[in-house]
Amino acid sequence: MEQSISVFREQEFAIPLPTDLADLAREARKLIIDMAATPTGCHIGGSLSAIDLLVTALAKYGHDEHSTVILSKGHAAAALYAALYVHGKLPSNPAESYGRQGSLYTGHPNHKLPGIPFATGSLGHGVAYAAGWALAQQLQGTRGLGIVIGGDGELQEGLIWETAQIVQARSLSNFIYIVDCNGGQNDGYVEDISPIRNLRERFEAFGFAVREIDGHRHDAIFNALTPDSEKPLAVLALTVKGKGVAALEGNPDAHYAKIPANLAKRWKVTLS
Amino acid sequence: MTTLLSGRDAYKDELAKLAETEQRIICLEADLGGKNHPFQIRHPKRFVNLGIAELAGVDIAAGLAEAGYVPFISTFAAFAALRASESVKLSMGYMAKNVKLVAPYGGVSGGWFGTTHHALEDIAVIQSFQNIRIACPHGEEETRRVIREAAASSEPYYIRLSRNDAFDSMPRSSDISCKDLLVEEREKDFRARLCLISVGEQATELCKTLTEEYEDVAHAHACYIDSQSLKAYVEPLKALADRFLVVEEHRATGGTASYLALLMPEHSVYSHDSGEQWPTYGGTHAEVLADLGFGLEPLREQIVSLLGGPNGI
Repeated sequence: MEQSISVFREQEFAIPLPTDLADLAREARKLIIDMAATPTGCHIGGSLSAIDLLVTALAKYGHDEHSTVILSKGHAAAALYAALYVHGKLPSNPAESYGRQGSLYTGHPNHKLPGIPFATGSLGHGVAYAAGWALAQQLQGTRGLGIVIGGDGELQEGLIWETAQIVQARSLSNFIYIVDCNGGQNDGYVEDISPIRNLRERFEAFGFAVREIDGHRHDAIFNALTPDSEKPLAVLALTVKGKGVAALEGNPDAHYAKIPANLAKRWKVTLS
Repeated sequence: MTTLLSGRDAYKDELAKLAETEQRIICLEADLGGKNHPFQIRHPKRFVNLGIAELAGVDIAAGLAEAGYVPFISTFAAFAALRASESVKLSMGYMAKNVKLVAPYGGVSGGWFGTTHHALEDIAVIQSFQNIRIACPHGEEETRRVIREAAASSEPYYIRLSRNDAFDSMPRSSDISCKDLLVEEREKDFRARLCLISVGEQATELCKTLTEEYEDVAHAHACYIDSQSLKAYVEPLKALADRFLVVEEHRATGGTASYLALLMPEHSVYSHDSGEQWPTYGGTHAEVLADLGFGLEPLREQIVSLLGGPNGI
């Protein structure tokens, strides 16, 4: 699935691939599993599919004051909290209070936390917000990027395409839209509910450059997150719902789970 | 002689002026700003017609605000408050991003354009979101002042305007904010049998006219009607009268009268509003209002009734 990508702006964004991404992602997966073992449980399937994307995007751009990384598929909040925590951006372990009374670690991202400028969860809004950030950077003449990670089910929202229309009209080549293509959504498979066909062609028709990658290979993600020289960029990341936990992988029923502590312990030991 | 501008034209002109010195101001339109937009002419790099995309537009404005801009985004009230409602709730209400949403075509000012272009529910919707300043300025000068106040504030704003009606604003001292209740002058310590509270342009014009007819009726014009502002009006209102009639081009449900009634349970608060019917027919702004039972004659009748009938005056 992976294809060659434009490297026109590679020098401009020549950030070396960190060597510890696999370790960070493994730690983040453990945290996600811990959040599934809290009294509330969490959206574990989509969190495990998106975690490599989040950890890598934050590694590449999380320290750039002119760039923002937004999780638009906000139900994967556990992944966002875990990724921010392993990158040292959160003051406390999210798994220790996730979903609890008085905790800011709510089931969808909370903008009162550091590293989360925009609360998402109602699907589509994070994409438009990131486009606004990208537009601001374009107007201010910075090199900053608006980077957003959304779901493939989320593409059913009209707001996505309303935003894509504006992004291409404004030639926002500093906008990167990563689609976590895990094939699942709340009630089952995307393919069974409302298939998103010809996705590459669809984004290309909206004026995007398109890169298709393995959404769990950190080097592929890292390299793909270099903006195109002229067009907004859609990174179609093929992922596996529940990635890393054999019992969950590819199972649409893994969308949300609340698990006992002993099971969480086993899953963490056997993370693939 | 200078031509009096409508609220929406005053908005565009004032914002273009402000942007001369305030580089953070950016003007967004959703394809309803019209040709020869003064901001576009004077500041083309900071003017963006996003196209017909209200929902995305408000979120994009939030992103611009986060990056340090002061975005003013404008579209008709029906689309601003209803179509883009969720973005307004989240970006402006919950997250309090510094977005100014300017909404012409408030109420039925679209006249013959029909119900799709009318907004008789917008205040109820925006009011329920919390955190958002709501202003319904009357006339050119007050509109200009509200735009200046919005630009200087870090709070999200919903500014409800009309279509093409142009009015002289009621006089207000330059050192008094539009957030303060504006009371038509009466004798010192005057206590009214009834106080009219006007919200919006048509309502304010009606109240100005009828206050002249009844010497024991007071008139207070409320430019801001968000919950915070209404709370601040309670004591000044209590000093004026015990009974109030809110005149507002809006549904009774979620209107200013309903909130004031909750804030002043020991007082009587009545409403002259646009009723419960859908505005089905064409006509001018005033004619459509008349079809809804909102206008000079029905208001006069309501005032007379509240004063105890013809014998009570």
